[in-house]
Amino acid sequence: MAYRFGSEQGFAISHLLSATHEPMISGYLITICITIVIYAMLAHSLNIITGHAGQISLGHASFFGIGAYTSAMLYAEAGFAFWISVPMAAVAAGVVGALLGIPCLRVRDDFLAITTMGINFVVEAIFLYLPFFGGAMGIGGINLPRWFGREMTKPEYFVVIFAVFSLLLLLDRRMGRSWIGLAWASIRDDEQAAEAMGVDVVRFKVVAFILGSAIAGLAGGFYAHFLTFIMPQNFGFGQSIVILSMVVFGGIGTRWGPIVGAIILGVLPEVSRPIMEYRILIYGILLLSMMRFQPGGLLGPESILPRILRRPVYVLPGQR
Amino acid sequence: MSLLEVNVLSKEFGGLRALDRVSFAAEEGEILGIIGPNGAGKTTLFNLVSGVYPPSSGELSFQGESILRLKPHQISRLGIGRTFQIVRPFQNLDVETNVLVAYGHRYYPSLWKSGAPFRQPGILREVQTLVERTGLQPYTKQLARNLPLGFKKRLEIARALALQPRLLLLDEPSAGLRFEESTQLMELIRQVRDQGIGILLIEHNMQVVMDLCKRIVVLDHGSKIAEGSPEEIRSNSLVIQAYLGKET
Amino acid sequence: MLWQQLANGIAIGSVYALISLGLTMVYGILRILHVAHAGIYALGAYVGLLSFRLIGDFWLSLIAGMAGAAIAGYLVERFLYTPLLHLPRIAPLIVSIGLFTALEEAFRIVAGPHTLAYNARIGLGNFSVGSFHLTETQILILFVTFAILIFLWALLAKTRAGLAMRACAQDPETASAFGVNVSAVIAVNFLIGSAMAGAAGVLIGVYDNQVWPTMGSIPAYKALAIVVLGGLGNIPGTVLAAIVVGLAETFFIGVLAIPFPRDAVAFVAMIIVLMFKPYGLLGKA
Repeated sequence: MAYRFGSEQGFAISHLLSATHEPMISGYLITICITIVIYAMLAHSLNIITGHAGQISLGHASFFGIGAYTSAMLYAEAGFAFWISVPMAAVAAGVVGALLGIPCLRVRDDFLAITTMGINFVVEAIFLYLPFFGGAMGIGGINLPRWFGREMTKPEYFVVIFAVFSLLLLLDRRMGRSWIGLAWASIRDDEQAAEAMGVDVVRFKVVAFILGSAIAGLAGGFYAHFLTFIMPQNFGFGQSIVILSMVVFGGIGTRWGPIVGAIILGVLPEVSRPIMEYRILIYGILLLSMMRFQPGGLLGPESILPRILRRPVYVLPGQR
Repeated sequence: MSLLEVNVLSKEFGGLRALDRVSFAAEEGEILGIIGPNGAGKTTLFNLVSGVYPPSSGELSFQGESILRLKPHQISRLGIGRTFQIVRPFQNLDVETNVLVAYGHRYYPSLWKSGAPFRQPGILREVQTLVERTGLQPYTKQLARNLPLGFKKRLEIARALALQPRLLLLDEPSAGLRFEESTQLMELIRQVRDQGIGILLIEHNMQVVMDLCKRIVVLDHGSKIAEGSPEEIRSNSLVIQAYLGKET
Repeated sequence: MLWQQLANGIAIGSVYALISLGLTMVYGILRILHVAHAGIYALGAYVGLLSFRLIGDFWLSLIAGMAGAAIAGYLVERFLYTPLLHLPRIAPLIVSIGLFTALEEAFRIVAGPHTLAYNARIGLGNFSVGSFHLTETQILILFVTFAILIFLWALLAKTRAGLAMRACAQDPETASAFGVNVSAVIAVNFLIGSAMAGAAGVLIGVYDNQVWPTMGSIPAYKALAIVVLGGLGNIPGTVLAAIVVGLAETFFIGVLAIPFPRDAVAFVAMIIVLMFKPYGLLGKA
C-alpha cells in the first residue's frame, strides 16, 4: 500500500509545468483550481451515497480509478476522443456500481461498507498486476482534449470541467425537488417509516449508489486527461479516505459541505509543506475527531461555525 | 370476501411465540378493535400485516390476494396504511412534505416518473385537502418535530390516508392524549371509516374501544381469546381475567 | 503433500480466526464494524516486537503484545465508540476508519516505514515426518491459537461471565433487565477480542519475520470478509469461515497454482457465499 500522495502530486505538478510554457504562477494556480474541481466532484458524488443512501462507500476511489482507466484506455489504446472517453468513464463506473450495489444493498447495508473496502483493494490490485492495464507504471500519453482544431489550454479545461460540475450541481438541485429527492429525504429521516409510506428504500439507495459511482467515474475521466498519465496508487484505499475526509469535514448530507471540504482540504496541503507530509495522518485524525465531536461537519447543524454561515442543510440521518 | 383475512397466523422470535394461530377477518367501512394486555402480540400483528417481517406460519390475504411475501412498500402501495405506536413522522420535514412522501407512492414505482418535481399545483391542492381534513391546516409548513403530540398523531393519519388505503392500521392513536384531543381524534377516525375504509384499531383506552368499534378481537399471550361485539367482550370472563391477571 | 498444504492452510486459517473473532464479537454486541481492529492487530505486533527487543524473551513479548492490544482496544471502546452509540452506525464506522488510518500513519512516523525483523527464538523444534514439515513458527501458531480458542470456548460456554456475554450479544436490553452489567460485558468483549488480535499480530510478525506499518491493511478487509462470510456476530461461523479462507488461499494458490491474487480469495469467497446464503455460512437474519 502506498500513501505517497505527496510525491505523486508534486511529480504531477512539475511534469505539467514543464510540459506547458505558461508562467509559473498562473500555471500552478490553474492546476490547483482544476484539482479542486475534480476533488469537489468526488466529494459531491460520495455525498450522494452517504448523504442520501446513508451508506458509506469505503472504496470510492476505485470508481474514480475505474473511470480514469476506462478513459485512459479508450483514448490511448483505442483512439477514442476525449468527448467519448470521459462519458464512457462514467458509464463504466456506474455499471460496476450497479453490480456491487444491487446485491449488497438488497441484503444488508453493512455489507456495502465491507464490499466497497474490498473492491478498493481488488481494483487496485487488478490495475497494478494485470499487464493489460500497464502495471505499476500505469498508462500514459493521455492528452488534454482537442477542440477548434487545437489542443485545449489548461484554463479552458478548467472552464469545461467547472461547467460540467455546475451542471451536476443543477442536476442535484433538480433531483432534490423531485420525487426521488423526496424519497431520499424520507429515507434519511426514518427508513422504516419511509418503507411504510410506499418508498422502495432499497431501490432508491441503489440509485444513489449508482449515481455517486458514475460521477466519481466521470471525475476519473477528467483526471486522466488532465494528469496525462495515471498510476494504480492514485486510486487506493488512502485516496478513498481523502475523499471521505472532505465529505465528513464539510458535512455529510449537506449540499455545500463536501465542496467546502474539498476546497479546504484540497488547498491546505498545497500551501503548507508539513501538512502535505503528514496529510494522511491528519485526515485520519480529522475523520476521527469530526465524527466524535462534530458529526454534522463544518456546515452541519451543531457546528461551531456561526449560524449565518450555514445554509439550510440536511440532517444526518437519525439525528433529531 | 373480507377486506383482510388473517388465517392461523403465527410468529416466533427464536423460541418466543409472539403470535399463536390467530384468525379473524376485517371488513370495509368497519372499525375492528384489537385489544389485550401488554405483550399480547398486537403490534406484532400489525407488523406482520404491514410486511415488516414474515410470519412463521399462516396466511394473510388482502382483498382476496395473499400478501405474505410482500415488502412493506409493496403492501403500502396495495392500499394498507399504518400508524406507529410511538409516533414516527419525518421529523425534519414539514407537515405538507410529510404527506407528500406518502402521496408519492403513485410515482415511486417508475424511476422516470420519480424524476419529476413534486411541488405541482394539482398535487399540492390534493395534499392540502388531506391536511385540512385532518385538521392540520394551521401547521402546514411546520416541521413535524415541532408539532404537539396530538397533531403528530393526526399527521400520521394524514400520511397514511395519502396512500389511498382501503385498510388502515392504527396503533394506539389515543395514547398520551388528553381527553379532548382524544375525542377529536376519534371523530376523525369515524369520518375515515365513513368513507368506506376498514380500520384495525389497537387501543388500551377501553372507552374509546367500546365507543368506536363494531367488533373487537382480544389477544392474550399471542392467542386470540375472544371475538365479538363490545357488549359481548365487556362481559366475557376470559377477557376480564386476562386484564386483571391471574394472581388472585 | 496434501497434508502439508492442509496444515499450512489450517495454520494460516487459525490466525485469521484470531483476528476475526475480535471483530465479530464487537459486531455482535455493538453492531459496529470495528475497522480499527486491524490497527490494534498491528499495534500488538509492534508492542510485541518492542518488548522482545527490550526483554529478549519471546513468550513475554507475546503477552506484552496481547496486553498492549487489549488496553488499546479498551480505550477505543471507552472513548470513541460508546459515546457515539446514539448516532446512526455510520458515525462509529467513520471514527473507526479515521482511527485505523491514523494508526497506520503513526506507526510509519514513529517506527519508520521499513519492515522490521521479529526473529524470536521460540524454543520449540521443527517437526518432520517424511515430506511433511511443520516449522517452529507453524507449531507455535497452532499451539497458541488452539489454546486461545479453547479458552474462549470454555469462557463462553461454561462460565457465568460467558453466559452474560452471550445474552448481551442477543439482546442487551433484556440482559440488562436481568441484572447483567452490560457496559462491563462490552469492555470485556473488547479486551478479549483485542488481546486475540494482538496475539495474531505477534504470531504473524514472527511467522513472516516482518513487522511493517501497513501490515494491518490486508487483514483489515480480509477479516471483515471472513466475518461476513461466517455470519456477522456468529462466533463458530467466524472460526469456520477463517479456516475455510485459510484453506482456500493455500489450495488455490499452492496446489492449483491459479494466477489469482491470494488476498482476493477471501473477498471472492465472501461474494460467492453471499449469493447463496445472504447472511453468511452460519448467520441468521
